[in-house]
Amino acid sequence: MTHQTHAYHMVNPSPWPLTGALSALLLTSGLVMWFHFNTSLLLLMGLTTNMLTMYQWWRDIVRESTFQGHHTPIVQKGLRYGMILFIVSEVFFFSGFFWAFYHSSLAPTPELGGYWPPAGITPLNPMEVPLLNTSVLLASGVSITWAHHSLMEGNRMHMMQALLITILLGLYFTFLQASEYYETPFTISDGVYGSTFFMATGFHGLHVIIGSTFLIVCYLRQLNYHFTSNHHFGFEAAAWYWHFVDVVWLFLYVSIYWWGS
Amino acid sequence: MATAAAARVAGLLGRLRPQLARPMSSGAHGEEGSARLWKSLTYFVALPGVAVSMLNVFLKSRHGEHERPEFVAYPHLRIRTKPFPWGDGNHTLFHNRHLNPLPTGYEDE
Repeated sequence: MTHQTHAYHMVNPSPWPLTGALSALLLTSGLVMWFHFNTSLLLLMGLTTNMLTMYQWWRDIVRESTFQGHHTPIVQKGLRYGMILFIVSEVFFFSGFFWAFYHSSLAPTPELGGYWPPAGITPLNPMEVPLLNTSVLLASGVSITWAHHSLMEGNRMHMMQALLITILLGLYFTFLQASEYYETPFTISDGVYGSTFFMATGFHGLHVIIGSTFLIVCYLRQLNYHFTSNHHFGFEAAAWYWHFVDVVWLFLYVSIYWWGS
Repeated sequence: MATAAAARVAGLLGRLRPQLARPMSSGAHGEEGSARLWKSLTYFVALPGVAVSMLNVFLKSRHGEHERPEFVAYPHLRIRTKPFPWGDGNHTLFHNRHLNPLPTGYEDE
């Protein structure tokens, strides 16, 4: 007999870790070439290979789990640990940008005028679009919880309705932030204020786009009956990530938009 | 005495059985009716909150276009240590001709 006598998943050999690593090399060297030598070929190759790797690797995971049944409870437990640890690493990533912001804003240098916001900077009013953005993300946290409970109770239509509302709110946030970026009187080149503002909010916006994409994938999978009422870890991982994105925004709003004005 | 012990054992078995009956399920089970609560929260609290915030932004925007600040060539702003890798290298990615001055001043003056 050649069947396994344990509940773990011994994954078949796969090319995607290698193509992923190669794409990372192309992305980094591509950025160097673009910044310093004004050529974008390497960068384009890096973006293409990166997108292809992600699509195929995650497609394979869906095949292994939903279609081949390899995700037993112990396998899922490992995936839970993995997602949690990944989100923890992202927390540390954002901590760096918050550190930079507080370092610069708690003791403004004489070059900035000795105060914060620095001389010549008119910050955004936290009670206008930033407050709307806060309500949008908080609302999306409520709707995704509704989606999860609907999924657990086996209500297919409600789950899709709630997840769709969540996705639309996420896209609305991205639209609002993009228009804010175009309308701000200050830019990324406006000293340390501009740098800290756009690095922190910019990476957050990128994470909103990533989270929205993850949710859209979940929506497509739900359309295709991939999730069951008690086995839907892909959705849970997306929900965890989405809540993380929401929490980062709350920190951004309180620190940079509100206190920092 | 024996019946009480038997009842306790049966109670324990009753608690164990649901786990044994779903050995390969690997997800949490939500309690009944909780989806209705979150649906109500979505439609009666969360989305109206967004609507109110949208109204607030709309009303504030009608307050009138405020004049853009006068251009002062501060050395700590509009830093150009290295040209941007796009366009003429002198415009930020979300450059707004009316609101964002270049190091030399507003473009539409």
